[in-house]
Amino acid sequence: MKKTIALFAATLLATATFAVEIGKPAPDFTGTDINGKTVKLADYKGKIVVIESYNSDCPFCHNQYKGAVQELQKELAAKGVVWLLVNSVNAKNSSHRTPEQAQKEWTALKINATAWIDDTAGTIGRLYDMRTTPHVFIVAADGTLVYNGAMDDRPQPFGDPRTAKNYVRNAVDELLAGKPVTVSQTKPYGCSVHY
Amino acid sequence: MNNSAHMPVCGDEPSPLRLRSPDAADHPLFSNRPAGFAGGILNTNILKKIFHFERFWGIERLTTMRLTAFILCVVLLGLQRSGAQVAGDDLGSFTASAKHHTQVTLLLSAADARPGDTIYAGVDMKMEPAWHTYWKNPGDAGQATKIEWQLPPGISAGEIQWPLPSKLPPAEVTTYGYEDEVMLIVPLTIGTSLKTNSNLAMGQVELKAKVSWLECKETCIPADQAVAAKLNIAAETKTSSDAALIQSWKTKLPRTDNIFSFQAWWEKPATGDTRPLIVQGQQMPGDTLLVDKSEFFPAPAPNEQFEIQSATEKVPDAAGFALRKTVKKFSGDWPKEISGLVVVEGNGQRSGFDVTLPVGPTAPAAKTTSTAAPTGEVPVSLWQMLLYAFIGGLILNIMPCVLPVIALKILGFVSEARSDPRRIRNLGFVYALGVIVSFLAFAGIIIGIKAAGHYAGWGIQFGNPIFVVCLTTLVTLVTLNLFGVFEVVLGGGALNAAGELASRSGASGAFFNGLLATILATPCSAPFLTPALGFAFAQSPAVIVAIFLTIGLGLASPYVLLSCNPALLKFLPKPGAWMEKFKIAMGFPMLATVLWLFNVAAADYGSRVFWLGIFLVIVAFAAWVFGEFFQRGRQRRGLALGITIGLLVCGYAYALESHLRWRELATEPDAKTPGAAGDNAWQPWSPEAVDRARAAGKIVLVDFTATWCVTCNAVVKPALESDDVAKKLKDLGVVVLLADYTLTPPAITAEIARYHSAGVPMVLVYPKNSTEPAMVLPQPSPLQLPTSYGRVILEALDRAAK
Repeated sequence: MKKTIALFAATLLATATFAVEIGKPAPDFTGTDINGKTVKLADYKGKIVVIESYNSDCPFCHNQYKGAVQELQKELAAKGVVWLLVNSVNAKNSSHRTPEQAQKEWTALKINATAWIDDTAGTIGRLYDMRTTPHVFIVAADGTLVYNGAMDDRPQPFGDPRTAKNYVRNAVDELLAGKPVTVSQTKPYGCSVHY
Repeated sequence: MNNSAHMPVCGDEPSPLRLRSPDAADHPLFSNRPAGFAGGILNTNILKKIFHFERFWGIERLTTMRLTAFILCVVLLGLQRSGAQVAGDDLGSFTASAKHHTQVTLLLSAADARPGDTIYAGVDMKMEPAWHTYWKNPGDAGQATKIEWQLPPGISAGEIQWPLPSKLPPAEVTTYGYEDEVMLIVPLTIGTSLKTNSNLAMGQVELKAKVSWLECKETCIPADQAVAAKLNIAAETKTSSDAALIQSWKTKLPRTDNIFSFQAWWEKPATGDTRPLIVQGQQMPGDTLLVDKSEFFPAPAPNEQFEIQSATEKVPDAAGFALRKTVKKFSGDWPKEISGLVVVEGNGQRSGFDVTLPVGPTAPAAKTTSTAAPTGEVPVSLWQMLLYAFIGGLILNIMPCVLPVIALKILGFVSEARSDPRRIRNLGFVYALGVIVSFLAFAGIIIGIKAAGHYAGWGIQFGNPIFVVCLTTLVTLVTLNLFGVFEVVLGGGALNAAGELASRSGASGAFFNGLLATILATPCSAPFLTPALGFAFAQSPAVIVAIFLTIGLGLASPYVLLSCNPALLKFLPKPGAWMEKFKIAMGFPMLATVLWLFNVAAADYGSRVFWLGIFLVIVAFAAWVFGEFFQRGRQRRGLALGITIGLLVCGYAYALESHLRWRELATEPDAKTPGAAGDNAWQPWSPEAVDRARAAGKIVLVDFTATWCVTCNAVVKPALESDDVAKKLKDLGVVVLLADYTLTPPAITAEIARYHSAGVPMVLVYPKNSTEPAMVLPQPSPLQLPTSYGRVILEALDRAAK
């Protein structure tokens, strides 16, 4: 049984590696957010979409969500950018959030994202080969994937992330200016995604 | 989930100190006895003059330039992601857990340390079950443990040495790290400045560090802990009770011996941003490890422009094991080199090898003939090496130690020119057989040594004083023979008298000459055959045999050629009285060889070598009595023979046994170091001395040399002592270390083998930046001018200072 699951996971992983490629259409997905609303990537066509793997128990995410990311989310939202959180932590993990817990956390942390997708099954995480929390993807208005990697160039769970070079802000700014994204891939850092 | 908890994550209490045991035994690792460089230097001018008639010799290691370029690339690769950060800002609001699940203690290998010592700190991390911490490359997620030292002035810490990590689950997000327990090893250098600094002299110091790490189970917690330990700065080194524990963890570090040679190449062109890479390991011949499992853990990629993904697939490989890894490129070009840890399991053992490998564009065509290895030597073809071996063997004919024997043979030809050409041809072949048999015997010895699991290096025979004494005596006798003091008649006078057996005597004489030529060739062969021998020592038994056979053929070929074509003899001068004069003249290069060997023996026996001289005088006298009164005498020949034997026995018992004590080495080698370069005093080499100097931010130059090494003394030594080089060494504050290979200590043999050199000379320059690997200087040709080699050294020092 375990073997079958592992095999299944490996197959998914293999497909994912092919699916997520810079310059290619970002794979579409449909999920449910913590308020029970259906979220479909394709629905956001025409807008820049930031997809972030999220788990605030991870010290790297936690540090980002001390304010720095909320500010960025607010700034980008003002520019019409969609920000989707994907939480793929499995239900048995102590970091798992029920929709109710998630709603409380959303309020407590003053998250300014568009939606928090409950990905307890890990489908979206595996589709995008999300490896760490945080791990960020950016989809351009035309639906192509333009960024895959770290939030910033400061792989630390401490200190102020505002002092770092934020790859997401830079990429979005370049897209909005009609320029190609200069840094399109970096090595994501953080905790493992607890599938 | 409770997100409002406000609890400190990081404990700040110092860890419990492990107390020193004051009467711990001295650990050999920390004893600091200088191993003096003994012995004088051969009169290099004579040798250089002798060598001048081989000016056409121009073979040099073709690989050295490329190797140097490669080392520079390795240096670039070796720069790890920087960013030592200080943990400990507002962690207070972190939500996950109240306490951390890893306990850290700081252990020291020494209780007392002397200024100048390098001791080891062990940062021991005990994780609660299912919790893990990370390796230097955490993998897909996680973070490497960091140690921030707070050390008293004069004490400095080196890089963390990481025990072999494991791949940690889950499979989807692979990380490299440790479960249960790990001890990170850090060399600490106790600066010599402590000796003079009265504030710190001879007292207790506290060594402190802040260890910060990320520990993960279901969740991850960043944590740090302050640790401390006390160390006495004392006049004597004393190990602590933890030394054995630290030592046991040191065995889990990557191995530094090379029982494998590794190569890497791109399997296919890139597909998008990913590209398959093959890492291949070939076992060195003679190694007995049975490989069950193999893995490759990448080191942190420089600038994070690419990553080597964690999945590993085994690929069938005839030559060893091959692993397929996927490289994902984030930006820039495809890497030219990769580095990481090859982990091999077999014989119930798990071993790791740190490698930095150039990535070949395709699979190498002839894998069996390459010598690519951890230091990435460029493959050389077997045919090229066989050609070198043949030319090397050919050139041995005119080396000062062999030439007299060959000259004698040619004289023999001249005198026998008118006799049966078939007999001459047969004698030629018998001579060749003698040469080849002795070279095969050498090959057998080398293979045997390798099979026994030791490093074989050329010149190793000179580490055996008994060999040196026997060879010195033999060469003395050959000299006396050339001077006409006595004759060599093999088979004895009886055979000589029996005319019908003369031909057999000729055959055994020719065979003996072949053996003699080979034995006499050994001291001269090292400088000329280094490339071929260096290649040979790393190869399979078949290749070793092929190389030695080819050297033998090279040595024997002129004689065989002459015996097959006696017509060529007409180019030689006509026989006559000149032959006797020529023979005597040939005695002098032989005498020079005696002098040289005597010098080698001096390194073994110190001042006792005088008695070897006395023994040689007695032998010479005995030879004269034998020649004058037994061989050429008419009366009382029995008495003469008796006196000869009596002299030899007495000489042996009196000089060799009772005074030279030839089977034991000098207990205190002459502490004289060869040449002080400017104010840079030469210090004896040891890995610890290198670590120490590097930890202090110094450039280090190591001269691997030996009294019996001609090139070392004729080229390298004068180059190092030249004004330019001495000034540069002084200006850059280079720490100069001398590795004396005269007695072939195993530590130096291993070190030389690590750099794929067949022997001395070998000069290493360690760059100022201690994360960069050592540069191996190109091996000089014995005919290279010291000034030209000096320029090579200067260039390397300039690079090292950068």
